[in-house]
Formats: sequence, C-alpha cells, structure tokens
Amino acid sequence: MKVLPEARIAPAAAAARPRPSGRLNLVPLWALYVLTLRQHLHGRRWIVMGVLFLLPAGLAVLIRATAPDAPAAVVEFLLAFMFIPQALLPLVALVYATGIIQDEQEEQTLTYLLIRPIRRWAIYLVKLLATLTTTILLTAVFTVLTYAAVYVGGASEGLNVPRRCLTAVGIHGLSVATYCCLFGLIGLYTRRALVAGILYTAVIEGLLANLPFGLRFITVIYYARIMAYRSMDFTFTDHGRKVDLAAGAWQIDVRNDPGLLDQPSLQTCALVLTIAGVVLAAFGALFCARREFHVKTPEGS
Amino acid sequence: MPIFDQGYQHWSGELTGHGLRWLAITRHGVRIGMKNRLLRIALLIAWLPAAVLTFSLCVWGLLEQKSDLVQPLVPFLTGMLGPDVVNNPKAYRVEVWTLCYDYFLLTELRFSMIVVLLVGPGLISRDLRFNALPLYFSRPLRRIDYFVGKLGVVVVFLGSVLVVPSVIAYVLGLLFSLDWTIIRDTFPLLLACVGYGAVMSVSAGLLILALSSLSRNSRYVGLFWLAVWFVSSIVGTVLTGVNEEHRMRQTYRRAVEAERAAQAERPPKSPEDRQRQAASRQEAQRRMWADLQREQREAARSDWRPLFSYTANLSRVGRHWLGADASWEKLAETVPADERDRYLLENMGAQYPWYWSAAVLAVLFGLSICILNFRVRSLDRLK
Amino acid sequence: MKPVVEFHEVSKWYGNVIGINKLSVRVPAGVTGLLGPNGAGKSTLLQLATGQLYPSQGRVRVLGRDVWNNPSLNRHIGLCPEQDAFYEWMTGRDFVYVCARLSGLARPAARAAAARALDAVGMTAHQDRVVRGYSKGMRQRTKLAQALVHDPDVLFLDEPFTGTDPVARRELMDIIRRLGAEGKSVLVSSHVLHEVQALTPNIILLNRGRLVAEGHVRQIRDLIDKHPHHIVLVCDEYRRLAARVLAWEDVEGVRVLARDKGLVVETHAPDAFYGRLPELALEDGLAIKEVYSDDDNLDAVFKYLVNR
Repeated sequence: MKVLPEARIAPAAAAARPRPSGRLNLVPLWALYVLTLRQHLHGRRWIVMGVLFLLPAGLAVLIRATAPDAPAAVVEFLLAFMFIPQALLPLVALVYATGIIQDEQEEQTLTYLLIRPIRRWAIYLVKLLATLTTTILLTAVFTVLTYAAVYVGGASEGLNVPRRCLTAVGIHGLSVATYCCLFGLIGLYTRRALVAGILYTAVIEGLLANLPFGLRFITVIYYARIMAYRSMDFTFTDHGRKVDLAAGAWQIDVRNDPGLLDQPSLQTCALVLTIAGVVLAAFGALFCARREFHVKTPEGS
Repeated sequence: MPIFDQGYQHWSGELTGHGLRWLAITRHGVRIGMKNRLLRIALLIAWLPAAVLTFSLCVWGLLEQKSDLVQPLVPFLTGMLGPDVVNNPKAYRVEVWTLCYDYFLLTELRFSMIVVLLVGPGLISRDLRFNALPLYFSRPLRRIDYFVGKLGVVVVFLGSVLVVPSVIAYVLGLLFSLDWTIIRDTFPLLLACVGYGAVMSVSAGLLILALSSLSRNSRYVGLFWLAVWFVSSIVGTVLTGVNEEHRMRQTYRRAVEAERAAQAERPPKSPEDRQRQAASRQEAQRRMWADLQREQREAARSDWRPLFSYTANLSRVGRHWLGADASWEKLAETVPADERDRYLLENMGAQYPWYWSAAVLAVLFGLSICILNFRVRSLDRLK
Repeated sequence: MKPVVEFHEVSKWYGNVIGINKLSVRVPAGVTGLLGPNGAGKSTLLQLATGQLYPSQGRVRVLGRDVWNNPSLNRHIGLCPEQDAFYEWMTGRDFVYVCARLSGLARPAARAAAARALDAVGMTAHQDRVVRGYSKGMRQRTKLAQALVHDPDVLFLDEPFTGTDPVARRELMDIIRRLGAEGKSVLVSSHVLHEVQALTPNIILLNRGRLVAEGHVRQIRDLIDKHPHHIVLVCDEYRRLAARVLAWEDVEGVRVLARDKGLVVETHAPDAFYGRLPELALEDGLAIKEVYSDDDNLDAVFKYLVNR
C-alpha cells in the first residue's frame, strides 16, 4: 500500500506570519480572563443578580419610609449581616461559580479552550479568578449601596459608617470568594451542582452555623460572623438598655465568654477562609487537569 | 395470491380531538421526571408528613372511641391541647382535624417548593436550548396544549405530594373513627385541601414554567426559583420583623414615659411608697405587654408586609379555606383569658385579609401567562 | 517519511463501550480523509489526536510529541470541531480574534490574523454580524477560520461539510485543497464519501472503532480480492461484445444492461482487461462508446469493507 508523496513546500509569505512564542505566555491567560468576565457580564444574568442585590437597599428604603423610628443599626444588622451573607452571597456564588466549567461544557464551547496552548488547571484557575472578580465587585458595589440606603439622609448614631461599610465589604468579599471556590469545585464533581450547593447552603451553612458548638467550625458564615463581631460593634442603646444584636442572633455566648477567648481571632478567621479558598481552588485545578471533558456530539451522545 | 407492499403504509385513522393532546406531553414529562433519583427521594421524604397526618387523624378517631390503644398518648395530648379538648374529642373534632391539615399543608408547602425545583426548571428551558419547539408545533398541537401538558407535569407531582396524601389520610381517619358524622363535619375540609392543592399546583406550576421560558439554562431557572422562594420569604420576614420591633419600641417608649411622668408627679417619700411604686410598675409592665399583644393582633389584620413572601401568600389562602383561624379561636376558649391574646398571636400567624394574597397570586398568575405568551412562540426561530 | 499523526495500539473506552479498538495508524502529511459510518469512532479519534481525551491504552503522537496534557503542542494544531457551538453573542470577527488571543497572539497580530483567517474562508463581508444570525455555511466557515487563525501546521476538520449547501461545500473544499497545497497537513473526517473523494484519494477507513483500511483508494480497491471489479462497457452490439468477453479467463461474470445498451463485466484483473479492450474493438469492429469502472471509488470500497 503506497502513501501519497509529500505536499508541496509552503509559499514564502507564510513564513513571515507572526507565531506565538514558545516561552511562558501570559497572553492566552489574560485573554481567557477577559473572555470569562465578558461571559459573566453579557446577557441578563448580571442584571438579575443586580436586581437581587438591590433588594437590601430597596428594603432599607422601604423600612425607613414605613418605620422611621427603626434604629439604623438594627436595619444595618438585618440587611448587611443577616440578609446578604445568608441569602445573597451563597446565591450569587451558586449562579456564577457552579458554571465555571459546566456552562462551557453544556454550551460545547469548552473545546475552543481545550485546544489552545493553555494548561487545563490554568483554564480552571483563570476562569475562577474572573468569577471571583465579578462576584466580589458585585458584592462590594451593592453592599455600599445598602449602607447608603440605610444611613444616607439619616442619623448615623455616632457610628463610623464608612469604616463599617468597608469592613462589611471586606468580610462579604472574603466570604463570597470562599463560596465561589467551594461551588466551583462542586460544579466540577457533579452535574447536580445546584442541588448540592443548595443542600450545603441550607443544611451546613443554615443549620450547623447556628449551633453553639463544634460543627459550625466547618461553615464559612461562622468565620464571617466572628470577623464581623470582632471588628464592629453591634450593640446599641435603646432607652437606657444596651442591646447586643449579634450575640443572640449568632449564638455567640458573650455572657460566659465576654472576651471571646473561645472564638478564633480576627486574623485566624481571615486566614482560615483564605486558606480554605486556596485549597478548594487547588483541588479544583488538580481535578480539572486530570479529567476528560466529554463534549457531546450526535455520534457520541 | 396478492402481493403486499412492504414499504410505508399510510395511516387512515382519525385524529383524536384537542381535548387530550396535552396528555401525551404530561405523560412523557412524568416518565422523564421519575427517572430522576433525587426527585424520587424527595417524593418519598415528602410523604413522611402525610404519615404523621394520617397517624394524628387515626389517633383522634381512636380517642373519640375512647380506645385503650391511645391511652398512653393522652398525657401528651393533654399537655399540648389542654384537658377540655382531650376530654371532649368529638366536640373539638373539626378543630383538631383542621389544625392537623393546616400543619400538614404548611410542611408540604416547603416540600412542594423542592419538588418544583427538581421537576420544573428544565420543562421549557430544555426545549428552548435544544430547539425542540418546532418538533412540537410542527404537529397539530396548539400552544395551549403545550402549556397545559407541561403544567400537567408539575400538577401531577404536586398533586401526589399534596392532594393524594390528604385524601388517603382523610379516608383512613374516617375508618379509624367509625363515625359517619365525621363526613358531615369534615367534608368541607377535604374540599378545601383539594382546592388548595389545585391552587398551589397551578400557581407554582405556571410560575416555574414562566421562569423556565426565560432562560435556556435550567440551572439558572432553578436559582431564580430559589430566589422567588427564599429571598421573597426573607424579605417578608425582615419587613415584618422590623415592623414588630418598631411597634414594640413605640409601646415600650409610651410605657416608660408614662412611668416617668407618674414618678415625677408623686416622688416616693418612704419605703412603703417605693414598694407601692414598684408594684404599680410591675402592673404597668404587665398591662404594657397585654396592650402590646392586643395591638399586634390588631395590626396583624392590616399588615401587608407578609405579602412579599410567595409561600406566605399561598399559606394564607390555604389557611383561610381550611378555616384554621376559626379553629384556633375555638381552641383559645379553653385557655385562661389573660393568656388568650398571646396564645392566638403565637399560633394564628398572618391575619391580613386572605383576598390580598389571592390578588398577589392572581397578579403572578397573569404575569406568568404573559411571559409564556411572549417567550414561547409557535415555531421558534433556530438559535 | 515521518507521519504527522501517529496512533500506536490505541484503545479508548467509555465505561463498557469501546470507542476505539486497538488502533494503529500513521497519518502522513498532506490531505487525508477519515471515513467511517456513524459510530465508527471518527470523532473519538480526532479528540484523541487533539488531546481532549486521553487513550485508555496505547499512545497518540502528533508531530512526534505526545498530545495529552501538552498544551504547547496546541500552537501547531488547529481543530474545526463537529459541534455547532459558538459564543453566540460575539460577532464573527470578535470570535476569531478571541481565539487568536487564546492561542497566544498579541493584540495587533491577533487582529491581523483574524482578518486574514476570515478572508481565507470568505467571511470578511459578514464578520461584524453576531454569530447568532449566521447561516449554517457561515458558521462552518467561522469555525474553520478559528482553526486557521494561529497558522497551525496540522488541521483536524471534524465533519466540516455538515449542513452546508452545495455552494458552501464547494467553497470549503477549495479552501481545504488550498491549505493542503500550502503545505499544511489536513485530516478531514466525514461519512459522506463523495465529499472526501473530491478532496483526496488518501483515506483512513474506520468501522466500529477499528481500522479497516488506510492508504490510496485505488490501492485499497486492488487489495480487496474478494470482490471482483465491475467495469461498464457501453456498445450498440452489446450482446456480441458480451459473447466475446465471456471467452476471457479473468472475466467472472457479465450482466446485460439492455436499457442502456451496455454490459457490466466482473473481473479480477481489471488492468489486463483494460489492456485487451482496444484490440477487441479493432479486431471485431465493435465500437465501444463508453468504458468506466462502477466501483473504483470510495462508495464501492466503503461498501465492500464495511459490509463484509
């Protein structure tokens, strides 16, 4: 059996065309980062997220209109430290992070990434980084809007509102980043990432975090709450009575442990969440590096 | 000998009418849904409250017959409902049955949300993603057949969670009480359950179909559904909580100011005066709490804040049709008068007119229809 | 000559289903057709060759290097995938530009490369339209453009003619031939035989995950000794012609085509048969109007090999 003779030699013009260099090239990584940001921001998804995130600010306006006597500190606590971290942060992380690879796989556009000179773990990490950028930005903007809705035009009751706002942005940002790393990993492991994420949020974050012992150490919201409690004052004086909003709601036993010696320090909490995020991201990258992605074709499906 | 053509043979039958065309879509959807293991597990778990309901009704039936089988439970029931109720089970039969069904439907409401989350998101979004709509509408199928067929999938699953267990529990409760007057007393309850199940199924079904038509990715539809369920509940709770806190503070401030005014008028001169003032302060506090509870009950009748919560609206309509509030009021007569307001406040829940919730559900119904009409066109264009 | 793509004892299974079964094949430079019926393993082979899947057994090398987890090799490989998937919200130019950037080209180079690639596939006029509004042919051409944009040495085209109209198909074929002429190695997969036949006579034939044949179509045909060649002769005196050829030893059978005034001759030695035809015409004065082989083409090869 003969084979065909070799094809003719390529024309000279082709040799002058620029080719990617063989050295470490950040261009594909940057291009992937920008592409992922564009994917997050195009279409209706970010509008829906924006509307959801506007809810706390909207609620603040509604509360101030209908119950003007409600202390701003109470409204701030309910919206910025109960509503946002328990409902909105896990939701936004679920929306963006579970689809890091899954969306590309379902849309069958993952092929275009796999056939580029980008390592598989780098594909995952860069897309995760872009997801973190989007979610942290959304969280920051809408936390600031919430604080504006709570405090602008009203009494700040002696509180340093900009500092509180910045602290809240920092804590929420770290929390949503950890959620994104977690849900990104879940999205790689299972197609039912949504259900797994909801179960995690409802059972682990929702139930375990409210236990006054042990198991709450595995929840993100516990560390976020301790960081908030250590860096901000949640007490306010109501007709001579001092009310600690957070201690009761968050099951922090300040009566027997007023100095919070049994709770981790601010730095420890930040470190735990950061390390957890890094470890989860690393696991995701490792899994992505070794896994095959079956992009459906009519033949293979 | 005739030779028969082995090729394509034309069908010469008659097409059925449009009345049952949707059933093919429903049957197919249910079959596909039942392949989902998570859904099967959710349905199984959703039947557990039905078991508890059945058990409760049967126990009450046996209690009416003064059966020895339930004697060990009498202390527990007495502690929960009071001796008057337990000693006259027939007189409180309707109330107990109503409240059992009320708790059952409240629990099943949450399971229903989960079932809808597992069944609903892909119903239309997958058809949009894989461009299957031309496959439907190129056949003699109208859009209404398509929508009813898809809605039927949700109705079947929700019906199996809400209506079927209600009916079975009713029949078993009937059999265990051996008293046919139960039917006369409680038949409206059964009708209310079935009606509530229908409203719940149609409302949730249309809403999830509308959400499903908004995106080609069923994961986002699921998350939107979660937002409708959780976030709206939290919004309602936050607003209600802040409002109650605000009212409490106002009442407390009024009481404190009255107390201070009284002290300023008659400052204590002797230890006896101080004792008398302390006693009157305690009495004033007790009155303040009683006033607060009464005010809260009054305010609850016009508190619109729970309307923000989708599940609260469904629950409010259901409770009204069941007559749960009337049952609580009758049970409250067995409680000491000074505890009655607190008892009702703790147990009755939202008191605003039920037709406000019905209006909200009607608006959502209309919005869902509009979205479906706009998003699902006959012969949708390719990609 | 060094092969461009080399599969050595490669097997790939998905659970209990075997996609590729102990495949050893070497794809030479130039344009090669990858043929097989649906489910033969063509897409699996291409996915293995582009490093999207890793072989359960065996080894896959492209340009002499292992493919799996070797992203630097992707600079030299271009893939036009089968699935009709894009970032639908982008314009054609934007899409190809992004693919160029993902391949490592700097911004000005990527812009120029995208323009060149779109021009090569004839999409310059439509490049600023959103991909969502493209026709099937435009989408296929845009896919080909993204495969070409980084000037790869090896191109893998998975069913590039699917859904295209005859005009678009002809244009795509011209592009592929031009790429082959420019020195690129192209592996084109298809189950439509005449499309591949129009591109190249060099084929790899798969069936049920196994390699059935590889090489030049004619040579493969010659090797299929079970099936005699069918040669059609058109002649007014076809019956007399039939009587003459029946006397030849290598003729196994003759079928008369009365309506077309022709014969279908079955022979195991087509070259010898062709050699004797002129003297037949001279000797007996039989005017043969037409001579052609009914099965010296991919269809026949395919049928013989796949259906046996």
